[in-house]
Amino acid sequence: MISCQAFRENLRPGSNDAGVLEHLRKCDACLDWAVKADPDNFFRAIGGEELVPPGGIDAFTDGVMAQVRVRQTEGSVKHRFLIPPRRLAAAAAITATLGIAALVYDRVPKPLPPARPPVAAAARPVALTTKPVVETYQSQNATIVEMPTEGPHDTKVVMIFDDSLPADL
Amino acid sequence: MAAVLRLMIPTNESVEPDDRELVRTIRNGDDAAFEQLVRRKTSKVFSLCCRVIGNAEDAKDISQLVFIKLWENLGKYDPAYAFDTWLYRMVTNVAIDFMRNKQSRENAINSNLRLVKTSADAEQSVVIQRKEIENVFHAVSAVLSPKQKTIFVMREMDDLSSSEIARILGCRESTVRNHLFNARKLMQQQLKKRFPEYSRLWKERT
Repeated sequence: MISCQAFRENLRPGSNDAGVLEHLRKCDACLDWAVKADPDNFFRAIGGEELVPPGGIDAFTDGVMAQVRVRQTEGSVKHRFLIPPRRLAAAAAITATLGIAALVYDRVPKPLPPARPPVAAAARPVALTTKPVVETYQSQNATIVEMPTEGPHDTKVVMIFDDSLPADL
Repeated sequence: MAAVLRLMIPTNESVEPDDRELVRTIRNGDDAAFEQLVRRKTSKVFSLCCRVIGNAEDAKDISQLVFIKLWENLGKYDPAYAFDTWLYRMVTNVAIDFMRNKQSRENAINSNLRLVKTSADAEQSVVIQRKEIENVFHAVSAVLSPKQKTIFVMREMDDLSSSEIARILGCRESTVRNHLFNARKLMQQQLKKRFPEYSRLWKERT
């Protein structure tokens, strides 16, 4: 530490000289003198030395490192749990896209199929049912038409038109 | 004082390269290197916090928070700049935030705290009680804004230059000088009100 005389000779307003400041912070007589010379030196008496947190540097460092480890663990857990939601989000997005596409497809007006001729309806297969065999028929209102045959082995077809007969005969 | 010189002189041969080297190692995932950095910087960080906040327990918590923020943001550090400047910026930001919150809670209480001295006491010759200076400072600096107080502490107690403080806070040097001027003025007013025996020191000079 510099001498009191050297301090008093070298003290300047706002001085940042390490030796001067060290003396100001350690010598009571020179502090009193310095404050009278420049009151701004009053609070400059504080400082200089580096302080140590309560419990010491080792305990403090251990506390910081414990916090860091906790945060590291939290970080890795967060990271682990972040992946599935991302995947879930991607799956949801795909599902939503498909759903919307299906809805839009359903709502698009489809072109009507071309009208089919009535013949097509007649061509549809008809379920076969057993009908009663009519051997003889007599009626005054009936019109009976016998179709001409092409030979003795040809099937003989007779058509009867009678309004009084049941529809399903 | 060596710490201050490290801050002020952008040199490659002081402790700075070691800090940068440590940061590089930490970035590569070495926790032991971070522990070493914490040990190295604890006193510096805690001292500033303690002087700005004025309470060792709060200062300890804030210092811890600073180091955790440091660990989280180390990737953002640009080695082109002095590590201590970057660290000080982090300390001041966290401390100022803390004080803003604290100040809003305690303003009403502080405004009623007075150390009563009679005028007769004040007329007596003053013997500066070194131990009391710190208490006086914390009492009268309660009227300063968190930024004013931080700047005052960095300039008068941590012995940083105005240009270094401006770099740390990311403002102009003239802004730092204005804050310092206003801080001194406000504290003198408070000294006059609450510690008239010390305020006489200023009167005697002027």
